Amino acid sequence: MADARLSARGLCRLFPGGAGLHALDLDVNEGEVHALVGLNGAGKTTLMRLLLGMLQPDAGTVRVCGHDLRTADPTVWASVGHLIDHPLAYPELDCTANLTIAARLQGVPSTQVAAVVEAAIADFELSQYAHVRASRLSTGNRQRLGLGAALAHHPELIVLDEPTNALDPRGVIALRELLLTRARRGAGVLISSHQLDEVARVADRITVINRGSAIGSLDPTGIDIERSFFAMIHTHDEAHQS
Amino acid sequence: MTIQLRIAIAVEARKLFASRVVQAATLLIVVGIATLTGSLAAAASSGNEQILAQLGDLADDDGWDRLVGIAIQITSAAGLLGFGVVMAYVVGREFTDGTISGLFALPVTRATIAVAKVVVVLAWTAVVAACLISVVIAIGVVGGYGLPNRAATNLLVRLFVLTVLSGALAVPAAWAATLGRSLLPGIAITIGTIASAQVLVVAGAGAWYPPVAPALWAIDPQHVTTVQLGLTLVVAAVFTAATVHSWARLQLDR
Repeated sequence: MADARLSARGLCRLFPGGAGLHALDLDVNEGEVHALVGLNGAGKTTLMRLLLGMLQPDAGTVRVCGHDLRTADPTVWASVGHLIDHPLAYPELDCTANLTIAARLQGVPSTQVAAVVEAAIADFELSQYAHVRASRLSTGNRQRLGLGAALAHHPELIVLDEPTNALDPRGVIALRELLLTRARRGAGVLISSHQLDEVARVADRITVINRGSAIGSLDPTGIDIERSFFAMIHTHDEAHQS
Repeated sequence: MTIQLRIAIAVEARKLFASRVVQAATLLIVVGIATLTGSLAAAASSGNEQILAQLGDLADDDGWDRLVGIAIQITSAAGLLGFGVVMAYVVGREFTDGTISGLFALPVTRATIAVAKVVVVLAWTAVVAACLISVVIAIGVVGGYGLPNRAATNLLVRLFVLTVLSGALAVPAAWAATLGRSLLPGIAITIGTIASAQVLVVAGAGAWYPPVAPALWAIDPQHVTTVQLGLTLVVAAVFTAATVHSWARLQLDR
C-alpha cells in the first residue's frame, strides 16, 4: 500500500449554528489524486483549512507526510503546496517577483529560485506576463500565478481548493496535465471542485461531502457521475431531515 | 538570526518597497513635514505675527533652532499617523487581500513573518527619518542658515530619534489590524493614540504616557527621564509580542 501523504481521523469542527465538519476521515496517498466534491457550503473548504492548520479542530487528528500537523517542522511544510481561497499574489509585485517570494517562503534554496520560477512561468504559460504587476492581471491569470506559486517547489502534497475557478479551457488542461504528472512522480493531490466532468478526468478517487460529512465515494470511470452524485446528496439530505 | 527570519525579512522588504501605498506614505511624510516646516519657518522669519503666535516658545528662537524645532513639533503628530497607517497596511492587507491563507503551511512560520513585518516597518521608519533629516538640512542651507553647528546637529539627532520612536509607537496598529482582520482597526488605534496623547498632555500626564514622551524629549530632553523615554520601547516590545502571539495562534474562522 502506498504511503499516506495526508491523513485525517475523526476530524470535527463545529461553528455556531451547527454548520461545520463532523467526524471526517480522509486519506491522500502517494501518487493519488483525491477529489472532494459537494455543493456550496458542504464543508470542502473548511476541511482543507483544517488539514493545513488554518483552523483548529474541535476533535480529531491530521498527519501531513507522516507527521502530526501540530508538531510539523519546516521540512514537512516545505513539501506542501496549497491554494485555498485566494492566490498568494501581491498586486504591487510582478509575476516573477510573486513567484520568487513564494519559492523563498516555501524553502527553495536561493541558488535554485530562478530556475524554479522560470519553470513555473513556463508551466502556467505566464511568460508574456512575467514582468507585469499582478494588479494588472485578469482573474484567470492571477489564478495561474497562484497555482504557479503553490506548485513551483514540486511539493509532495498538493492541496487545491477549486483550482479551475476562473481558468480558461487551456488553463484547465494545463493544470490537469501538471497534476497528473506530479501524481505519477509520487505526489499526493487533494482537490475540490464543483465541476464533476473535470474531476472525473483527473481523480483516482472522489469523495462526496455533504453537510460536513463524507457521505460516500464516486467512481471516476462511472458512466453518469452527475446522476450518482445527486442521488447520493438527495439520499443523505432526506435521511438528515427525517 | 535564523534562516527563516532572514527569508521573511527579505520577502517583507521586497513587498514594502514595491508598495505604492508605502511609496506615497514616504513622500507624504518627508515632503509634507518638510514643506510645512519650511513654510512656517519662512513665515516666522518674515515676521508673520499669526504664525509667530502659534509657534509659542519657538517664536523667540531663530535659524536652525526654530527650523528644527518646528520640524520636531510637526513630526510628533504627523509621524505617528503616517507610520501607524503603514504598519496597519502591512499587516491588515494580508487579510483584506486574502493572501493570509497563503502564509499558512509554510516552512517560514507566521510568527516569523509577523516579526519580519515589524522589523521591516521599523527599518523603513529609520530610512524615512534619514530622508527627513536630509531635507530639513537642505531647507536650512538654502534658507541661509549655513551648515548645522553643534547645537543644530544635536537638534537634528533628536528629530531622528523622535521619528524612529514614532515608528515604534505605531506597533500597536499591527496588533489591532491582526485582531480586526483589516487595516482599519490599526488606523483607528493610531488616531486614538494621537488623540489621547493630546488630551493627556493637557491633563498633565506628560512624559509618563509613552506616546507623548519622545516628542517632549525631543523638544526638551531635560524634562524627560530615560525611564520615561524607555517606556516607548517597552510599548513597542509588548505589542510586537502580542502581534507575534496572535499570528502564531491565528485561525481563519471569520
